[in-house]
Amino acid sequence: MGNCPTEVLQLNPMSKIFHIKFKLLVNSIFVLIFFGSTGCKKGCSDPTALNYDSSVKRNEASTCEYGSFNKQSLLLNLSDNFITPSLSLYKNSIDQLVTSTNDFNAEPTLINLEILKNSWKTSLLNWHGICILGPSKFITTDQIEYTNIYPIDTNTVIDNIINEFAPGNNDEEGFQALDYLLFSKTSQETINYFLNNSFATQYLIQIVNNLSGTCYSIENKWNNEKQDFINDYESVATGTSISIIVNSFNKHFEYYIRRGKFGLPLNVFDQFTQDVDPHLVECYFYGKSLPFAIKGIESLKKLINGYNFNTDENLTGFDDYLNFVGAQHSGINLSTKINNQIDYILTAINGLNDPLSIEIQTNKTQVDNAYEKLQQLVPLLKVDLTSALGVLITYADNDGD
Amino acid sequence: MMAISPGLKKIFNRNINIAPLVVFRIIFGLMMLSSTIRFIKKGWIKEFYIDPKYHFTYYGFDWIKPFQDQGMYIIFGLLVACTVLITFGFFYRISITLYFLAFTYVELLDKTYYLNHYYFISLISFILIFLPAHRYFSLDSYFGICEKKRFIKSWCINIIKLQIGIVYFFAGVSKLNYHWLIEAQPLINWLKHQSDFPIIGSLLLNDITAYLFSWGGAIFDIFIVFVLISKRWRIYGYILVVIFHIMTSLMFPIGVFPMAMIGSTLIFFSENFHIKIISFISIFTLKNDRELEKNKSTLNNSIKPLFRILFISFFVLQLLLPFRYLLYPGKLFWTEQGYRFSWRVMLIEKVGYAQFYIHETLKDRKKLIENENFLSPQQEKMMSTQPDMIIQYAQHISSIYKDSTISTSNGEIIKFGNPPKVTAVIKVSLFNKGSRSYIDEKTNLSKQKRGFSNKSWILPYEN
Repeated sequence: MGNCPTEVLQLNPMSKIFHIKFKLLVNSIFVLIFFGSTGCKKGCSDPTALNYDSSVKRNEASTCEYGSFNKQSLLLNLSDNFITPSLSLYKNSIDQLVTSTNDFNAEPTLINLEILKNSWKTSLLNWHGICILGPSKFITTDQIEYTNIYPIDTNTVIDNIINEFAPGNNDEEGFQALDYLLFSKTSQETINYFLNNSFATQYLIQIVNNLSGTCYSIENKWNNEKQDFINDYESVATGTSISIIVNSFNKHFEYYIRRGKFGLPLNVFDQFTQDVDPHLVECYFYGKSLPFAIKGIESLKKLINGYNFNTDENLTGFDDYLNFVGAQHSGINLSTKINNQIDYILTAINGLNDPLSIEIQTNKTQVDNAYEKLQQLVPLLKVDLTSALGVLITYADNDGD
Repeated sequence: MMAISPGLKKIFNRNINIAPLVVFRIIFGLMMLSSTIRFIKKGWIKEFYIDPKYHFTYYGFDWIKPFQDQGMYIIFGLLVACTVLITFGFFYRISITLYFLAFTYVELLDKTYYLNHYYFISLISFILIFLPAHRYFSLDSYFGICEKKRFIKSWCINIIKLQIGIVYFFAGVSKLNYHWLIEAQPLINWLKHQSDFPIIGSLLLNDITAYLFSWGGAIFDIFIVFVLISKRWRIYGYILVVIFHIMTSLMFPIGVFPMAMIGSTLIFFSENFHIKIISFISIFTLKNDRELEKNKSTLNNSIKPLFRILFISFFVLQLLLPFRYLLYPGKLFWTEQGYRFSWRVMLIEKVGYAQFYIHETLKDRKKLIENENFLSPQQEKMMSTQPDMIIQYAQHISSIYKDSTISTSNGEIIKFGNPPKVTAVIKVSLFNKGSRSYIDEKTNLSKQKRGFSNKSWILPYEN
């Protein structure tokens, strides 16, 4: 076709107008013919489309037709099948963590310590199922960093316990302070430590209670706003439900997963010093970081595709919305492109070994490769997905320029 | 000077009732008042002009800086005061001049917030400085600050019509491009999110609707002024104006622009229409206007040669600016060279993601710049797709690292070059066709020139 206006660059401005007007006439005829001939053979090779044609080999851009998309059913599905079950799973494990902490406090035995460690692991895994919902009004930046910031300021934690101070800053508490308190020594040494430092147990209980308090306030907030969340489906403007979710998973993936879990330990942002920072990995003392990263990314995948959180049944998700608006990237559906990229990430991370703090020193190339895969997802989410869904990250008026 | 032909004389030098100009003054004042109050209420003074540590100034206007803290509030206070004075026509010449200066000053502070309708307001307020809009139904004439006049020369009203005409016509011409007409972009994408629009929501999903809107919008913009000029079709044209702008304001976050156009285009209506509006407002004012109707005094304000030259250059410049993009190679929507000040409204869907690196020259090691440390989210978003802002930001980073050194853990002292090297990896998506590399990742942006020369480090769209 080649009707691109840049081809008339050489003409002077006035004749350009007439030229364009002439083109307008020609183009209008073209469009009339286009509409008049909708029976024309064109094919769609996407199996999820209504007009899927298995005989078509090459997908013609935007020839696929999808069923009408209902934004309310997206929100309803996210609410009932992702957020609510994921949150309740986290809450149950936090309740369990409180119980195991109290049991350990009453009887600091090896068995009770093992139970406590296990409920810590379960809770932290389940946290990674839900924390993708922030930073947003549902899970604030403060709540995220209160719950799971690292590295922990271990010196201050020790000082707090000696001086009988309650945890002060975010890096003196949360899951990662528990990581330090429960895993930095052998089990027997840990038990001895708690037996010999009466305030240590208090400190432990304080941290767990704070985690529980944060969890309950997140749950309260959600229960209070759940119905409004579902009903706020008409627009994708700033501050609406869809915009909030898209902004939060974008920010969470870019900042907390890509940057926090891999970028900072690898020191990719500052190559002035060529050293890696092993102590910046998540769960440094436990020695296993990868399961949590994987859980976080799987949770992102579930959220984007609208999976049922527990059964992984594929329901209405952002992928369907992307297909409905016909979002493409390099000749394939954007939803496919994003899912492929998430799978590359998971494959790359599954190919790594814990402890990550060692792996980034001995097998840096492979970790760098995983980081690169994570990095490649950022523009797909931040540019292509937000653009296709019309979600802005801005507050101001916009006349499109 | 050549003798003025009768046709031109009718356009410029006919005696005409001042009412349309007076009504325009009042509407302009009220609209700007509400628009300024809206701006203040949204907290944008702080968010746009006080909080950001850096501002994207216009080339040649780098000397324009925001005032510290209270200063910006005083400027906006002044804007509010001016709009009230303009509405009442009190110390009009001073207040409209101050308004033009203060408003344009604010707009020049940071191109992040550039909007075509702000440009429009600057132009209109500039024109209003020279018009006798306070000679009737104003406090200036009431208190005898100026002599009351019932009739003025017709150029005073037609110049405003011309300005509005340019806005619509060029907005229409800019729509005559492949994407808008043949692909119905960007509307075809945007309308997909409007399925819950009252009544016609389901229609909006149909691709044909996007084509109808695109073509309808282009035809509307190009021809609306000619319809508004025609006595017979004017009322239908105005109904279209109202429908068109209300629809767009419901669908897109374009702020006060629709209201501004609905208000301004009233000037196309007849003298009698505006006289009736004034009589209507007079019901609410203390002094009945009927006695004044006998006043037949005419302000003999033909355009003086100096102003004639001023206005001719003013409009010729406006006619040329939208075409300056022809001087640059490449795709306009991709490079955005010569994009602003051309009435290109809602034409493109473009999103970007930019990562900047500062380099040390010794071993060419680099460090990622965290944009949120330097820019607001809005600034970062606008910068990520606009090359002139990309270069400004790169040079800002460069200047920050100019004198600093970094000592590494093994005692090494790292110096930066002069100016420090800055590169960027930028991904941009235009019309949802997939993100792709926007600029040459190897280019040292701190060494590139700002200004109007072609930016060869922008990668071609078809890469």
